[in-house]
Amino acid sequence: MTTLRTAAPSRLLTQVTGERQTGTLVVGGHPGGAVYVLEGRVIYAESPAAPGVGELLTASGRLAGRTWQNALDLGTSTARVGRLLVEQGHLTQGELELCVLGATYDAAYFALSAPEAPIDFLPGATHWLGPVAHIDPGAITREVRRRVRLLDEIFPDARVDTAPVIPVPRLPRERVPITALQWELLINADGQRTPADLALLLGKAGYATIQELRRMAALGLLELPEVRAVEAPELVRLPRARGTAVNIKRPVIRADDAPTVPVLKPGEAPPTVPVVSGARAAVPAPPPPPPPPSLPEAPPPAEPPRNSLSPPRLARRKPGAKLPKEVAGEPPPPVHPGTDEVLLKRIRTALRALR
Amino acid sequence: MPGVDHCLQEAMAIPGAVGASIVDYTTGFPVATTGAAPNNDHEAAAAGTADVVQAATTRSLYVSALPHDLLEDLIITTAGGYHLLRPVQTDFDSRLVLYLWLDRVQGNLAVARRRMQTLADELVAT
Repeated sequence: MTTLRTAAPSRLLTQVTGERQTGTLVVGGHPGGAVYVLEGRVIYAESPAAPGVGELLTASGRLAGRTWQNALDLGTSTARVGRLLVEQGHLTQGELELCVLGATYDAAYFALSAPEAPIDFLPGATHWLGPVAHIDPGAITREVRRRVRLLDEIFPDARVDTAPVIPVPRLPRERVPITALQWELLINADGQRTPADLALLLGKAGYATIQELRRMAALGLLELPEVRAVEAPELVRLPRARGTAVNIKRPVIRADDAPTVPVLKPGEAPPTVPVVSGARAAVPAPPPPPPPPSLPEAPPPAEPPRNSLSPPRLARRKPGAKLPKEVAGEPPPPVHPGTDEVLLKRIRTALRALR
Repeated sequence: MPGVDHCLQEAMAIPGAVGASIVDYTTGFPVATTGAAPNNDHEAAAAGTADVVQAATTRSLYVSALPHDLLEDLIITTAGGYHLLRPVQTDFDSRLVLYLWLDRVQGNLAVARRRMQTLADELVAT
């Protein structure tokens, strides 16, 4: 029996723990998450915006990926992954407890801080890590509220928490002291990674990441979202298509395709579209002379392409088929290393939350 | 297997110990507590602890004067007691500090400091 509804996550948590239930509170929305409850105590929480125990332990190098995977394979079905790691001597009990406590409070912030979200409670569902910590739900909801307040005291702009991180190209002051975590965030911010991406990539707590980002925003070290959209559009790096996909609008220039500059017949009005490609075109001059026959290296005009410049019509392809070679001539754009990994991790976390 | 609770019990066994806790110093939150706290409020004490650690690590230049010259412990003495703060160095990402409140008359600062060092190491040592 499940109850799907929209409500305050922390209130529902208080309700189910008050009834000493066992199960999983699944919170939808962005970023959402899941809180695992065992007989009225919180044993774990996870969220796509917060690295879980596995990510924290492997990203830091504390555990080899293989060690972690072995423990998952052996212990997932019986929900004792945490205990296995300690019994096999890979972690001390203290480390495991501290890691679980840290990850739980971190994810609980993201899962429970939304005032309203679609919520589902799955009675009986438990986590494969097994019970390591038993946390008073009241302490968690209090701490979540406190963390929300702390962020707003640093810099009251929640958009910093989710928007891609873009450092300013020039510092607004002569000297800026930077902490170790701020440095790591700055050198890994490529203009596309969101705070959650950075947290997963670096294996740092999601809340600590946001906290440092808000501090940097308060110091003026980050571009703020509304500045990006209006005043400095050239700083935005839109995500580029991957694989063999190419921009279909990209004019294919062949040697016999001259002229590449539109020819205007005498008497025809020059194009009203502002042309930025040629210096001549900007000057209100007599109708331009027909271009010399060979101009393959001239830059393509910025006005809407027509005739020979329009994208070639392609035969209908089967889904998944590649573009013909002559169209897909451009090498695939460089894919940022780490992006795939981060994406896979997020998908995995999201799937796990649905379990 | 020394867990968090065991570590705090051991801390309370140090002569003169009044209270102990493990505090996350980025958020000022007590991850685990035992015994008494100043003003009987572990959460307020943790918030204050976090401020002190932040001040020492990021707002003063004592700690970062030399490369890898990390904070080892902080000792605050008051007329009535000693307050010891010792960062717990974990390999994974965490910002934790072990806090011990000692009675001034019964406590021995040197002994307590050495025991705290052992406890913080044992908590995470394999």
